[in-house]
Amino acid sequence: MAFLLRRLAFYLAAFLVAATINFFLPRLMPGDPIEIMFASAGAELSLENLNALKLTFGFIDAPLHEQYFAYLQSVFTGDLGRSIKYFPLPVTELLGRALLWTLGLMGIATIISFTLGSFLGIFAAWRRGRLVDSVISLGAIFSSSVPAVVVSLIMLFIFGYTLRWFPNGYAANPLIDPAWNWTYISSVLYHGTLPMLTLVFVLTGGFGVTMRNNMINLLGEDYIVMARAKGLSDNNVMLWYAARNALLPTVSSLAIAIGTILGGSLVTEVVFNYPGLGNTLYQAIIARDYPVIQGQLLIMTAAMLISNFVVDLSYVLLDPRLKKA
Amino acid sequence: MKLLRQLLNNKKALVGLIILTIIVLVAIFAPLLTEYSPTRRVGRPHQAPSWDHWMGTTRLGHDVFSRLVHGARVSLAVGFGAGLLITVIGTVLGIIAGYKGGVVDEVINFFTNMVLVIPNLPLLLVLAAFIGQASPMVIAIILGFTSWAWGVRVTRSETLSIRQRDFVKSAEMLGEPSWRIMLFEIFPNLISIVGINFIGSVIFAVITEATLEFLGLGDPNTVSWGIMLYNAQNSAALSVGAWWDILAPCFALAFLGLGLALLNFAIDEIANPRLRTGGMLNRWTRMVRIGEGKL
Amino acid sequence: MSDPVLSVRNLNIDYVGAETNFHAVKNVSFDIAPGEFFGLAGESGCGKSTIAFAVSRLHRPPALIRTGSEILVSGRDVLSLNDADLRKFRWREVAMVFQSAMNSLNPVLTIEAQFYDVLRAHGPISRAEAHARATELLKLVDIAPERLDNYPHQCSGGMRQRIVIAICLALNPKLLIMDEPTTALDVVVQREILQRIDVLRKKLGFSVLFITHDLGLMVQVSDRIGIMLEGELVEVNDAQTIYRHPQHPYTQQLWASMPKLHGEQTRREPVL
Repeated sequence: MAFLLRRLAFYLAAFLVAATINFFLPRLMPGDPIEIMFASAGAELSLENLNALKLTFGFIDAPLHEQYFAYLQSVFTGDLGRSIKYFPLPVTELLGRALLWTLGLMGIATIISFTLGSFLGIFAAWRRGRLVDSVISLGAIFSSSVPAVVVSLIMLFIFGYTLRWFPNGYAANPLIDPAWNWTYISSVLYHGTLPMLTLVFVLTGGFGVTMRNNMINLLGEDYIVMARAKGLSDNNVMLWYAARNALLPTVSSLAIAIGTILGGSLVTEVVFNYPGLGNTLYQAIIARDYPVIQGQLLIMTAAMLISNFVVDLSYVLLDPRLKKA
Repeated sequence: MKLLRQLLNNKKALVGLIILTIIVLVAIFAPLLTEYSPTRRVGRPHQAPSWDHWMGTTRLGHDVFSRLVHGARVSLAVGFGAGLLITVIGTVLGIIAGYKGGVVDEVINFFTNMVLVIPNLPLLLVLAAFIGQASPMVIAIILGFTSWAWGVRVTRSETLSIRQRDFVKSAEMLGEPSWRIMLFEIFPNLISIVGINFIGSVIFAVITEATLEFLGLGDPNTVSWGIMLYNAQNSAALSVGAWWDILAPCFALAFLGLGLALLNFAIDEIANPRLRTGGMLNRWTRMVRIGEGKL
Repeated sequence: MSDPVLSVRNLNIDYVGAETNFHAVKNVSFDIAPGEFFGLAGESGCGKSTIAFAVSRLHRPPALIRTGSEILVSGRDVLSLNDADLRKFRWREVAMVFQSAMNSLNPVLTIEAQFYDVLRAHGPISRAEAHARATELLKLVDIAPERLDNYPHQCSGGMRQRIVIAICLALNPKLLIMDEPTTALDVVVQREILQRIDVLRKKLGFSVLFITHDLGLMVQVSDRIGIMLEGELVEVNDAQTIYRHPQHPYTQQLWASMPKLHGEQTRREPVL
């Protein structure tokens, strides 16, 4: 329990750092920070609305530390300002809508590739040095070395444009109304297949290599040899003795990998024109819609911290040595 | 030197080195490989690959092959430049934290863990967005200053275990200054960790530079693989059927990534003998097959 | 004399390298009689653990047991067993205590689970029966049955060692191999464990193959002792002869290198 509380405090501090970066960045740039932040607004924004935005981002006639607290107050009350491109849509609403798609895509892809990668890694380590190991290892190296943007584009070219098996964009057929019925859901699945496959391809290799190397390091341990000496079946030794223990360091490397997964997911969305955070952000970058760009850092940091906390929780469940601590 | 010999004996490392050498040579001799300038209009828009233009032309009528070979320079420069910066910062902080311990360690460790949980790409996007159209040099520098955390973590934990060894203890007894111990006693024992960190950082930098440029945060006048992807995507190359415009930089990035990853995997094997497979297992299998023995 | 429990004949084991092999065990032959406490001594790296691993066929590549070697347990040729028979043979005939007891138990499974899996692997058994059997086995080594719900990290080093021994006895093996089982423990616990093994041996009638580099300790507990040097078995004799009249020069050298604990007294007197 103390362990989890300590982690929570740490994550709160990390979130504060992200907010602080947001606060100082426009103020550190050469030129007038207000002009930089709202440059893309032009004349459409009324003075009244502009002033409200300034207040949200802490641009008030006061010393720096008061500006800082004004900004923090907005952040911690959930006010991330309004998108300039889609004025007056609040940033939280714009990003919140997109976040659902991203989390769905990323979450499912992570679960599939973690499971697949771990099993491949377990299998390769168990048959170390044999043909299976070489094939899996080389495949894993290849999959983890190619940038997500490259894999997305090649997937799109082969399956979207050449073979025409899958659609080239959107989360669902835009002609179908969103509803909880099979027509809509099947359309979502159909449209999600290519981005999902891309992410699974990019992520599986990394998980596979990590699991394989962790397993190999464990196979010399006395409890593994003793399990074999006990006459347990290979599957039993492999899964309950070796893999079960190798899973611990693999799960902790998952926490670090979440940032990379998020990055891969953002790029994949842009290529497949998928309505998640990545694509929203891409539009915001093109329009230099800074409130949205800043908001995504906070939302993604929050998403990352929550995922890390989930990893911490599962770590406590997996490792009996942490339960009593 | 021993490391180099081991690298040449490892098949994965050898293939990785060959791939890297090819790309480096292409980058160096880029102007000799093509008659076309990478930044001039030399043909009609979106011409398919032909004898005149091996890899076709872009929407603006630039020669794709010329842009590709010249772009290799930027990808390599950013990759190795940022990789070096990341590795130097990571190694220095890691050794200091691991060796000094105490408050110094706690401060460095706290910041490292903090940086590790702030998602890297979103942070880079914000930084790059405020900087505007970032040149490759600027991208390399911000990559260097935001991505060192993983290096600190591994270097620190390795330093912690080396610090306990006899030769460090005896150097301490002899009253050697701590900077000498860190530089001459500890650092030489971290070579393989530093190598893995370096190659891994280069891969990361190459991928991230291409990604940032693809997302429109780079300087569109640069000749680099990321900008090629950005331009191709913006000119809807795939939907108008100009696949060469997109696939050329894609394969170049995949090729470079593969070469670096093979090298990284090989260094890992050399550093950690348990991971090594290679010659002895082949020989073992052969001996079992001809009935010389069993397990 | 009854048939030996373990009979090793012309055992040769190589560690295969990329170019040359390391010949770790050279033409070793010895027997262990039923109920006998047999010690195998030698410096680390002399091949004694390699022999122990070979008896249960626990080696992994690149180790190679050369053709022509013979290992018989109760007259059965271990080296010709197929995978299924080998699994049945392990632990039922030969159980083993490994070098570091600290790490012999799976850190993420409860003690009970580690009794249950071995019992279930060797025949149909219900959870309740397994629990009863585990309780009974723990009693043999003086450990409270409540410990069954614990994880290994919740037990002390000496306790874990005794738990491992209890697991070893689960299937009434004919031979118990102990591969430097006490190196990580302090002297008092070491002695306590060995005395306990000796009592159990007399009660249950199994043989022991005891491996250590500590010749002084070995002489106190063994009936017969084999001395190994660089993969070869250079001398096999009963413990008293090894102690009082060592034949091979290497055995004499080993005694000479033992630390002198009490002034002029160069050898510890056997207590058992």
